[in-house]
Amino acid sequence: MTKTILKAAVVLLLLGFLLIIPRYVESPYALHMMILLFLSVSQGQSWNIVGGYAGQHSVGHAAYFGVGAYTTMMLMHTKQIAPWIGVWAGVALVVVVALAIGSICFRLRGPYFVLASIAVAEILRLSAINLTSLTNGAEGILATELPPFKIGGTIVTEFLTKVPFYYIGLFLVVLTIGITYLVQHSKLGYYFQAIREDQDAAHSLGISITLYKNIALVISAVLTSLAGSFYGIYVGFVDPPTVLGLDVSVQIMLICIIGGMGTLWGPVLGSLVLVPLSEALRSNMVTEVLIKVGLVNAESKVGIFLKENLSHAHVLLYGILVVLVILFMPDGLMGFVKKLATRWKREAV
Amino acid sequence: MAILEIKNVSKFFGGLAANSDVSFSVEEGTIMGLIGPNGAGKTTLFNCITGYYPPSRGEILFDGRRMNGLDPDKVCMLGMVRTWQKVRPLAKLSVVDNVMVGALAHTSSLKKAREMAMEQLKVVHLEHRADFLAGGLPIGERKKLEVARALATQPKLLLLDEVMGGLNPAESEEIIQLILDIKSHGLTQMVIEHDMKAIMRISDRIVVLTSGEKLTEGSPQEVVSNPDVISAYLGESHA
Repeated sequence: MTKTILKAAVVLLLLGFLLIIPRYVESPYALHMMILLFLSVSQGQSWNIVGGYAGQHSVGHAAYFGVGAYTTMMLMHTKQIAPWIGVWAGVALVVVVALAIGSICFRLRGPYFVLASIAVAEILRLSAINLTSLTNGAEGILATELPPFKIGGTIVTEFLTKVPFYYIGLFLVVLTIGITYLVQHSKLGYYFQAIREDQDAAHSLGISITLYKNIALVISAVLTSLAGSFYGIYVGFVDPPTVLGLDVSVQIMLICIIGGMGTLWGPVLGSLVLVPLSEALRSNMVTEVLIKVGLVNAESKVGIFLKENLSHAHVLLYGILVVLVILFMPDGLMGFVKKLATRWKREAV
Repeated sequence: MAILEIKNVSKFFGGLAANSDVSFSVEEGTIMGLIGPNGAGKTTLFNCITGYYPPSRGEILFDGRRMNGLDPDKVCMLGMVRTWQKVRPLAKLSVVDNVMVGALAHTSSLKKAREMAMEQLKVVHLEHRADFLAGGLPIGERKKLEVARALATQPKLLLLDEVMGGLNPAESEEIIQLILDIKSHGLTQMVIEHDMKAIMRISDRIVVLTSGEKLTEGSPQEVVSNPDVISAYLGESHA
């Protein structure tokens, strides 16, 4: 009991800390990094419900991310509908898409479900490229002008800085973690995990497999679509590869695989590793550090090679990371941490 | 009164008849033993009864209700639950959580489900293992866990598929006592078992299957003295 109270206190403290950060941190880059982190946590946590808890490893979550992002952006761009209304249109559409995908693909098990989920996301990506009149095709949709957000006539924010986005991102994190917590501590969570552990056994214990898999998928898809809409309005631009591409699906999954599937804090840990890593590589920070430390000469062939290529290397590094995690931490970082904790406890006794 | 009626049930896989024209009924409050050599179609019959396979022909009536074509989860909700020959623990969940999954069939409250689960764990004498991971249990305790989890769904008929398979004599004896204990609470059971001594002790009636067909049915004494049964198990020369 005291342990639960302690945990709750730590979480509240952390939340309070995150809430006051923008008061003291003004650097847009630092806030940008935090927003990316929030986005990643909410993506990973959304996938976690269907992938981690219910054990249905969807590699097509770009479908929900993209549909959410596109719907919000399209409504804002062509119909001037404010994104905080458009978001719900995205959610409604994603529920339909998820139920369609679920009712077809959940007839398949294991690798066949994975393949089907990839296929559906690819169909949506190709549709977005080719339905030019609707989606503006490969050019994507650019919509950076956000209307001011008003409540009852008073302007709350005009989105001139990154601060409002920071709080929206934080809200998404709290929402996704909160919903995962509720799922974990309810009949749903038990049924999802039973399906993950042994589908036939679960079926024999009175669990309607199709129903509960679809419930897991819809919850997951709705949350992913919220993250997608947030991405759209934050970046101000969507095109098929960045929101519907296969690497979006893979990245969403990786957050969980690396952090720990089916655990509440796994996606948080996974994001804490992946976001800084990919950012460091993308911005060529690693090369610069190597040059500054003197390990690599900027003018040498190696230096030039790194400068030109390392920024594209994050995908390669993800691959290596996944192999390492699977080999040495099959339950992800969270599993590793738990193992350390039990060992530490045992030694303390 | 018959709680379960199997009427002319056949199950074909392609040209192979895993069950053909099997009929019998199970009386309420009794234990029905189901025996037969390997490949006789015992587990297939269980799968047909519990909704994993639709029977190709015939009818299955439970509590007077036609069960053909119902999904396993509906079958369970109507009061028929099975255990598995090859045990299927939810390995990464704790023992009590495993049983709670069963208990949640009739309640949405975790607190209530946990109480019910602890009760069932006491019935199978596993309460000291409640917080262990199910995947780490030895086989004897996994078998008991299967029974506790099935009981937690509050069935009217419990189907046990070789719960004593792979157990040592002491563990088997515990299971026998458990089955008799469950019977004394009025729950009807149907038991597949290879251990003849065990099945003789617990069954009120026994159905013998060979090559998918019903060979005979009767009290344990009638069945073991039946020359057809002896020849099915040991070959012609022993009959």
